Amino acid sequence: MSMSTAATATLAVTKVDAPTIEYGKLSPILIIAGVAVVGVLIEAFLPRPARYRAQLTVALVGMIAAFGAVVWLARDLPDDHRGSVTAMGAVAVDGPSLFLQGTLLLIGIASVLLIGERRLEPAGGDAFAPQAAAAPGSQQEKDAAAAGWTQTEVYPLTMFSLVGMLLFPAANDLLMMFVALEILSLPLYLLCGLARRHRLLSQEAALKYFLLGAFSSAFFLFGVAMLYGYSGSVSLDKIGVASAGAMDNDALLLIGLAMVAVGLLFKVGAVPFHSWTPDVYQGAPTPITGFMAAATKVAAFGAMMRFFYVALPGMRWDWRPVMIGVAIVTMVAGAIIAITQTDVKRLLAYSSIAHAGFILTGMIAMSDAGVSSTMFYLVAYGFVTLGAFAVVTLVRDARGEATHLSHWAGLGRRSPLVAGVFALFLLAFAGIPLTSGFSGKFAVFQAAARGGAGSLVVVGVLCSAVAAFFYVRVIVLMFFSEPKVDGPTVVVPSVMTTAAIALGVAVTVVLGILPQPVLDLADKAALFVH
Amino acid sequence: MTDSGMQLAAVGFGTDVWWLILLKAVLIFAFCVVMTLFAIWWERKVVAWMQMRIGPKYTGPQGLLQSLADGVKLALKEDITVKGADKAVYIIAPIVAMVPAFMAFAVIPFGPEVSIFGHRTHLQLTDLPVAVLYILAVASVGIYGIVLAGWSSGSTYPLLGGLRSSAQMISYEIAMGLSFAAVFLYSGSMSTSEIVAAQQDTWYAVLLPVSFIIYVVAMIGETNRAPFDLPEAEGELVGGFHTEYSSLKFALFFLAEYVNMVVVSSLATTLFLGGYLAPWPITAVWEGANSGWWPFLWYFLKVQAFIFVFIWLRGTLPRFRYDQFMKIGWKVLIPLSLVWLMLVATVRALKNEGYEQSRIVLWVAGGVVALLLLSILWDAVTPNRDEEADAKAAGPEPFDPMAGGFPVPPMPGQQLPPVPRRNVRKPEPVGAPAAAELPADRTEGEA
Amino acid sequence: MNLYAPILVLGGIALAFGVVSLVMGALTGPKRYNRAKLEAYECGIEPTPQPIGGGRFPVKYYLTAMLFIVFDIEIVFLYPWAVYFDSLGMFGLVEMAMFVAAVFVAYAYLWRRGGLEWD
Repeated sequence: MSMSTAATATLAVTKVDAPTIEYGKLSPILIIAGVAVVGVLIEAFLPRPARYRAQLTVALVGMIAAFGAVVWLARDLPDDHRGSVTAMGAVAVDGPSLFLQGTLLLIGIASVLLIGERRLEPAGGDAFAPQAAAAPGSQQEKDAAAAGWTQTEVYPLTMFSLVGMLLFPAANDLLMMFVALEILSLPLYLLCGLARRHRLLSQEAALKYFLLGAFSSAFFLFGVAMLYGYSGSVSLDKIGVASAGAMDNDALLLIGLAMVAVGLLFKVGAVPFHSWTPDVYQGAPTPITGFMAAATKVAAFGAMMRFFYVALPGMRWDWRPVMIGVAIVTMVAGAIIAITQTDVKRLLAYSSIAHAGFILTGMIAMSDAGVSSTMFYLVAYGFVTLGAFAVVTLVRDARGEATHLSHWAGLGRRSPLVAGVFALFLLAFAGIPLTSGFSGKFAVFQAAARGGAGSLVVVGVLCSAVAAFFYVRVIVLMFFSEPKVDGPTVVVPSVMTTAAIALGVAVTVVLGILPQPVLDLADKAALFVH
Repeated sequence: MTDSGMQLAAVGFGTDVWWLILLKAVLIFAFCVVMTLFAIWWERKVVAWMQMRIGPKYTGPQGLLQSLADGVKLALKEDITVKGADKAVYIIAPIVAMVPAFMAFAVIPFGPEVSIFGHRTHLQLTDLPVAVLYILAVASVGIYGIVLAGWSSGSTYPLLGGLRSSAQMISYEIAMGLSFAAVFLYSGSMSTSEIVAAQQDTWYAVLLPVSFIIYVVAMIGETNRAPFDLPEAEGELVGGFHTEYSSLKFALFFLAEYVNMVVVSSLATTLFLGGYLAPWPITAVWEGANSGWWPFLWYFLKVQAFIFVFIWLRGTLPRFRYDQFMKIGWKVLIPLSLVWLMLVATVRALKNEGYEQSRIVLWVAGGVVALLLLSILWDAVTPNRDEEADAKAAGPEPFDPMAGGFPVPPMPGQQLPPVPRRNVRKPEPVGAPAAAELPADRTEGEA
Repeated sequence: MNLYAPILVLGGIALAFGVVSLVMGALTGPKRYNRAKLEAYECGIEPTPQPIGGGRFPVKYYLTAMLFIVFDIEIVFLYPWAVYFDSLGMFGLVEMAMFVAAVFVAYAYLWRRGGLEWD
């Protein structure tokens, strides 16, 4: 017994060095996390009618504040634009993470504006199910719809997802990256199942996304375990040091690399891990699809770049050929399958797959120009996608959104403005000059060509040409065919959707005509902290 | 740091020779079985006295051998395997329920170091750096036995009983687990022997009264004992999960329940009542109370006291309703224990930082009082929404005592309609309910 | 001897006891076949037909189980923290307070949304 008392005494004396966490440097992430928690409390304690306004205000104000924090942190970066790591080396605050966080927050603001739109449904309410837990078509659901219920949990869920997205490209160790991956994914799985119309399709999308997402997370986690086994650390820096001198083919390292890459490629929707994309994009509520398509790609490409550039630069001769292959397959498959699509949302989904291939092209360059061009492309692509999905929410008939392409015939004659905006987004997707798509594609192809991936550039240009065909086909359909008699109508949205679309148009045009300031910014921000 | 903690917990354990381990294991097993037999007899006796009866009397002196006789009787009963049962699971379930209950005893300290056949050894089978966590773990495995028993019986009542039982046990396991955290905070260890040693000056029941109370409530819920014996509610579920079991399979469940009672009592003794250490007045007058084999006596007495409380509660309290029971677990015990834990942690951290204790206590007490006042104010200012909702829900729909042709009791918030009586002695007040207009003798005539 | 070996010894004894009891119960008891005796017991009325595999449980129990997991994981975080509390100092207190507050927010939401109502 005396030894035990001695034991307690010794325990009491020793002090653990408390880790330091610079909350200031994490402030963008912490602000959004706080907003999400406040959102949950609003759900818990505010009466139903007051929730919508409160949630919207809190989310928008929080995101603007977080954007301010990002700008403040970016101005604090030292002159050589090298960042620093914080939270015991788990989170990097450097150029790429701040640039992408800023992008994500702007996309988040636009997405929340879309999510908050309540003027499109004829019976009132937003794009989300009045009671998501009720079985589709059940009496309960009808009652909830008749009572005019709306779910405002969407906002905290979106914010939680945004927290994960902000953390994902900034995560400087693989465990933090995994946590971020889960935080960003889990709310998205739920959000996908919340559509007000086509409930079964929506639930199917959510389930598919969840199952495949969980599967890919498992891959990611196994890969992390392998890399830990190889290097004895989950920190990207240390893995980078350990793998720099890898001469022989170390199985642990290669398997780990491949498995983590699978997890990341799943999130960006690259072939052959793309199969979830069309179904999920089609089934999810359209504002969520827009958010998911734009923001998840930004976050996942950020994380992927950090993983390959920081942890595995020494292994580039091993992973580059594979990634080049993936990029080629992704571009080709995305572009070719898109041609056969008859549903606007599926079309945009396959287009997003093709774009994942284009973005991969920039990443593979393995140079600062590659990073900056990829980031530029992500900004350009994010806003175009968001804008395109926002337009999709406006074209409606009695059964909700009219997403079948045949319904869009002659839309340009009925409402030239909406069709014109959509045409602009399609041209940007196709990469026609004077749109942001052109600047982005030019930047990534240039970087790839300089990085010695000429073959990739050739394929990329060819695929762009193929893709341009189906984008232009939609434009032709909208402007040069007769409108159907019982065709859809374009609903006049509230100022929120209008603002989101306007933002998309503005970014598309500005980045198309005057891309240089943003390119410069991306250039400055292209250094990963090691 | 971690290494030293691990080693310290292991000092003096893991060094016994094999026959000593075997001997101790057999003794502990025997102790459990004897305690079970004894507890059953004692329960019947005490409940009998509380109900002014005599209780078992004829088998052995004062009926002491009654439970043994019952065991033999059970062995001679037919072992039925129901037609709808999932055979393999049905047979394994009682073992799954029983074995973990015994295994939990491996880390219970019965006393300090003693000498057995010339070997110095602890009166404890083994100790782990995570002993209490281990007990929680094996206790959770025991729940499987109950769920599987209910599920595999292929019968409605056991299924419901098993589900209820598992819901109940996992609900109370949280409160139970949270109440331990405060103890670990003080002892700086999860090893049972160290926790006992750390209580040499003051028992944790005195230092952490709220944790102790929460644990005692949770342990009764955890063992499915009255007043929380809903899984076996005879009135609604026949016998709960063991309805379809007979013979020695049933006896194994019975054994598991009583061994579990002894386990949770032992754990309460170990964590809160100083384990095998002698109670205060005895140590003051008798130096040797904590040496040799005496501590086992203190341990035994403390455990018996807890078992008496179990029996006492059973003899006194009526059974809870399921929703009330879950409400206590989730809405009272869990927030209470979390807040209490953070309170304890704050006080301790401030004390470690060198603040004066009386000051801290004053501040914390002030904060708690302020919070309570605020909550009272809140309650006074805001109308209770739940009650409003209830009133609204109950309002438009009058209660029908004969819904669907069967008499049903009223739900909370519903009012029984006035019963028509034949002889109304008192004059009805003016504007009396419509019941007075009912033809009073019609019911009479039909009856 | 290993710290964990004695646990296995005790578990083995208990297991042996259980198995012997089961075998003994099967051997010593009488066997009188009776069709009604082997039916599920339902107070004498015709037993409700059971779907294969036990059928479906009410979803409420799953909810309870999931809540349990949430809180149980919280407890798993609390234990090591509590054991090394003194050496963590104020940092440990602040971080755990934040964690508990976060769980409390979820708990408040759950409560207000009727997740803790049973009937």
